[in-house]
Amino acid sequence: MNELDIRTIRSSIEKINTLPTIPNVLKKLLKMLENPATSLNDIGHFISHDPIITTKVLRMINSPIYGFPGRIYSVNQAVILLGLNVVKGLLLSVSVYDLMKKVMMGLWEHSLACAITSRLMAKKKGLKEPEESSIAGLLHDIGKVALILQFQGYYETAMSTADKKNIPIMDAEKELFNINHATAGEWMAEKWSFPRNLIEIIGYHHKPHISRNFPVETSIVHLADILVRGRGFGFAGDRTVPPVNETAWALLNLSNNDIKEILKELEESMGMANELFIE
Amino acid sequence: MPKITVDRLVVGMCLAEPITNEHGLVLINEGIELTEALIEKIKNLRIESVKIKGDSKPEETKEEMILALEERFKYAISYPHMDTIKKIIKEHIERLYE
Ligand SMILES: [Fe+2]
Ligand SMILES: [Fe+2]
Repeated sequence: MNELDIRTIRSSIEKINTLPTIPNVLKKLLKMLENPATSLNDIGHFISHDPIITTKVLRMINSPIYGFPGRIYSVNQAVILLGLNVVKGLLLSVSVYDLMKKVMMGLWEHSLACAITSRLMAKKKGLKEPEESSIAGLLHDIGKVALILQFQGYYETAMSTADKKNIPIMDAEKELFNINHATAGEWMAEKWSFPRNLIEIIGYHHKPHISRNFPVETSIVHLADILVRGRGFGFAGDRTVPPVNETAWALLNLSNNDIKEILKELEESMGMANELFIE
Repeated sequence: MPKITVDRLVVGMCLAEPITNEHGLVLINEGIELTEALIEKIKNLRIESVKIKGDSKPEETKEEMILALEERFKYAISYPHMDTIKKIIKEHIERLYE
């Protein structure tokens, strides 16, 4: 059977949570997320009972990724303030952080910058929960982690193709796997019981015009990705800025000055975030 | 000017912006060199981060940065709006060196 048959790829990606490289905490967390009865309280307990997770969560909350005014000192305070979806996303980000750093140099920095940019853009567009956009920005390329974990050799081939032909990595992925990392990410997010909005944003961040329920949120991550690559923060598998989707561009309708301000704040925040997260 | 979180402050750093209370009154002026006591005071104010003086210019030269930018945009530059996006980023990068 062909290893790169689309069904084989999908089932490999859906099996990722069983890999020995996946840390136990993440496995436990995924079990909890699977259960629809899991409450905010359960998640609060889960965090507080693990001092390492507690530290990581508090560090992440107080970083420019989320940009809360004032500091958050306790898990309880965080859980009350942030609500279930954001806390879930926060925990996922904390757990995926090590994985991301392990598989691709620069992917974490790319994701971090996208998280900050997405939040700033969400604020500009007056979205009610800009923190949700932080999480989406942070996790949007999780499909790359999935593909590398299961098909490292092939993924390296895709990266060299992108490099040689000077094409975006997602086109090279598509040539080789018949899907790109957005689809891989969507499969993984579905299997991992991510919140609905997150699944859709991950799946459509390179074709935001197809997003049905979260077109603005998806367009935000789409454009954030382009700005971050354009600015040159991090590395996401290629050296090429992909074209912006026209529907997304029109929908967001940002002025040149809006973008200028976002870049300026991103720049300052990256200085601070780098200190926190990039050793 | 780098913005850093309060827990990373070290004696000897210099404030690049004054620290104010919620009404905008200056509590600690810019240019002040931080002492142990001042850092303690800042921590008690429960602010997230402060701007400190220092070189935050990128490691690459401006020319290198611009060249890399041109390279990154080569593939998509003929697509709609990409020229605008590139121009905004280019101006942004140039401002980093002012
Ligand atoms: Fe992507
Ligand atoms: Fe990306």
